[in-house]
Amino acid sequence: MTAVIETTGLTKTYGAVRALDGLSLSIPRGGVYGVLGPNGAGKSTLFRILLGLIRPTQGEVRVLGQHAGDPAVMRRIGSMIETPRFPPYMTARQVLAWLALAHGMRKDAAIDAWLDRVGLTEAANRRVRGFSVGMLQRLGVAAALMTKPDLVILDEPTSGMDPPGIQEMRALIRSLADDDGVTIILASHQLLEVQRVCDRVAIFNRGTLAAEGKVSDLTAAGERLRLSATPLAKIMGVLGEKGSLDGDAVLAAIPRAEGPALLRALIEQGVDIDEARWVGADLESVFMAETGPARTDAQVREALHAG
Amino acid sequence: MLADAIRSESYRLLKNRTAVFWSVFFVPVVGLAISIFSFFMLKSKADQLAGKLPPELALGGPLDLGASLAGNAGDLANPAILAFLLIGAATLYAGDYRWETWRLISARNTRPNLLLGKVGVLKFLALAAMLVFLLIGSVSDVAKGLIFDRPMTFSFGAEQAAQFGLLFVLSFVRVVQFLMISLLAATLTRSLLAALFIPLVVGVGQFFLGQFAPMLGLEPGDWLAQLLMPGLAFDTLKTLIKGGIAAAGMPDGVMIKAIVSLAVWSFAPLAAAIAWFGRQDLSKE
Repeated sequence: MTAVIETTGLTKTYGAVRALDGLSLSIPRGGVYGVLGPNGAGKSTLFRILLGLIRPTQGEVRVLGQHAGDPAVMRRIGSMIETPRFPPYMTARQVLAWLALAHGMRKDAAIDAWLDRVGLTEAANRRVRGFSVGMLQRLGVAAALMTKPDLVILDEPTSGMDPPGIQEMRALIRSLADDDGVTIILASHQLLEVQRVCDRVAIFNRGTLAAEGKVSDLTAAGERLRLSATPLAKIMGVLGEKGSLDGDAVLAAIPRAEGPALLRALIEQGVDIDEARWVGADLESVFMAETGPARTDAQVREALHAG
Repeated sequence: MLADAIRSESYRLLKNRTAVFWSVFFVPVVGLAISIFSFFMLKSKADQLAGKLPPELALGGPLDLGASLAGNAGDLANPAILAFLLIGAATLYAGDYRWETWRLISARNTRPNLLLGKVGVLKFLALAAMLVFLLIGSVSDVAKGLIFDRPMTFSFGAEQAAQFGLLFVLSFVRVVQFLMISLLAATLTRSLLAALFIPLVVGVGQFFLGQFAPMLGLEPGDWLAQLLMPGLAFDTLKTLIKGGIAAAGMPDGVMIKAIVSLAVWSFAPLAAAIAWFGRQDLSKE
């Protein structure tokens, strides 16, 4: 499995703040890779380094086998970092023509096809100064993809989009990965969307890698046995720290192999079990488990300042 | 490639009609309107203004449009053209900071190419502004001849052509100097207003330095005077090109000093801007 991104001990500091703290990460070629983390966890900083917009303070980073920021590599990457902005006096079609020229392409290079693919055909000749955030996102995605890159980096690609738009974007991202063989790295706070569209994810916390792996593996690792039974206190007594209340049920954090033994033990103790079923963890619970409690306001401000 | 950067910047600039109008057309069009108005005013008050008319009108005889064209070439780096050309320069240089579009295009070409592309396009814009100004100046001269009912000639021999060419190039270099200062200001400050006003402030500063130069012991023939005051270098070369008694009175070796001064003021800001831009954090705009 070849890697499109390799970082070793990657560190970026802004004054006293460490936005990235010795990050070592390998992102495989192909598929959709999600980068998750609370605000200020270092996602955007990593993207900016990958795109050569800023330089790391320490560590190594290789993108498509070359140094980040190498002009030859940059031409093989499409990106959209945060809400994209465009010269306000240009129309959507002109924006894509301008970017095509900058890339050494013809100014009419498949522009209509890309406008159609992101749902902007009707707005093609409207000036972007009147675009909504969602429309800017769509145009930004078209701008990132129109050069047929090998690697696409998208930061919050569905931010500001309505539900149908989110669905379309999800389908577009999946088709690019599945049909066109493009490697897509995306950051998003919409964890359900990430779970639906990504093959693998990395969870960042305070500039370090908290967890990494296939989405299915990460969620399976958080699998729980949900017991609807009485009395709850007796079950909690048996489970100890492995048990947690979930409404009028108990979630038991145990491996599947231990399930039958637990049920036998509970029955022997006189517990009346109505229902017992395995429930998978969603990405949100994995995310919360890995990133810990919410930060204080001061910490969030500091982290946001750090980017 | 640099060619790609130039093509994309040209395309973008042409879509910004406001910037093109203010940079290229505003000064010549308004200048022409004022000229024609003033010609009519002068004609209507000719009796009262006897003896106060401009020499070419007071002396009689035909108006030489060729000589006028050659003379106009030396006046192309005037403050009006510079001030409005700087609108285009500021828009082009600082626009990507203002609209936060650097991160959009910086992935598509090298940083030096992106800056040099802007410089190239702006040089075309400056040439266009200067040519339009020359054209409108000629139209104004024709209007003058018609309004004052004067015969017109067009003597433009080899000597005038050479003088015209040299003065045009000299004016162009002077304009480019201000555009390079604008580029450096935009790159350092990321501000559109700074890109617009800092070159003007530098120009005003040079003007006052010129006024106080004698008190500071700066002689026009000194290296320091020429290097500190590119405006002086420009005037020196203009005088030498025009020839005559004024040129004959110039200190020895002043030409090379003036040329070096213009070269330094043209390339040093560009080199500094490219060096600074190469390491700039473009994620914060």
